[in-house]
Amino acid sequence: MAKTFTIFLTTAPYNSENTLTAVRISEHALSKGHNVNLIASGDGVYCFLKGQKAKGLPHAGDLFVELIKKGLKVYL
Amino acid sequence: MKLAVILTKPPYGDIQAAEAVRHAMGALSEDIEVTLVLVDDGVFLTKKGQDVGNSGYTDLAEAVTDLMDMGCDVLVEKVSLREVGLDTDDILDNIKVVNGYEISETVKEADKTMIF
Amino acid sequence: MLVLIKNSPETKEGKRGLKIARDASADIVLLQNGVYFAVNEMLDGFCGTAYAVEEDLKMRGLDDIKRGIKVIDWGQLVDMMAQEDKVIGMF
Repeated sequence: MAKTFTIFLTTAPYNSENTLTAVRISEHALSKGHNVNLIASGDGVYCFLKGQKAKGLPHAGDLFVELIKKGLKVYL
Repeated sequence: MKLAVILTKPPYGDIQAAEAVRHAMGALSEDIEVTLVLVDDGVFLTKKGQDVGNSGYTDLAEAVTDLMDMGCDVLVEKVSLREVGLDTDDILDNIKVVNGYEISETVKEADKTMIF
Repeated sequence: MLVLIKNSPETKEGKRGLKIARDASADIVLLQNGVYFAVNEMLDGFCGTAYAVEEDLKMRGLDDIKRGIKVIDWGQLVDMMAQEDKVIGMF
């Protein structure tokens, strides 16, 4: 049965591993047919800035764009 | 010019370990003598067998090896190693396992210290 | 109940997560730096089931240290989260 996951992301994209954890839980929940909401609050909103140039760690902008295409609902 | 870079945090969970390595590398490329001092959870930086897979992270154990190749001294505090449950066999080769006195001497001799 | 722990055993948050899980007779899932609980005797006295996320273990070179810990992938974590009546964390 499809459930709804709601992820509350409050940290900036590149100083913690929360970005990757949120990405992984979202992608696997979506691929199993669940609904996933992501609420970005506080510094979490920086994950959704345009033009990020990250190297050497997971690229928040690119990863979330892909997930939005797969059905991730993002609320800032 | 001597720089001591102290790391107290484990790799990947936050940016501190990557920053410590990055600034150590930057300093080495400017011909600054660098000692990387790993204490508390920072000792996990030298854990053998790190595999970043497709996570997108830079392999920091590999980066530490690069640092040593560039002439950086890497010190691990013995007490920290024991406290986190690791053994000297668990960590990379050529890492110096030292006591607290040796760390304080390193910091005393350094012209500048950066703490991550 | 499932408690997610993302901080290392050395931190207040990590210790708190484990204490709450122990007091509530919950199971724990270790991820991020929480996987360092998989090293040696860090989980002594915890009677529930401890799961750890494989990707986060591997990243830190801990996939050889299992000590009674069940290794899961992200898909299994999602299944567990969907099935549990309550999931708290991440500590």
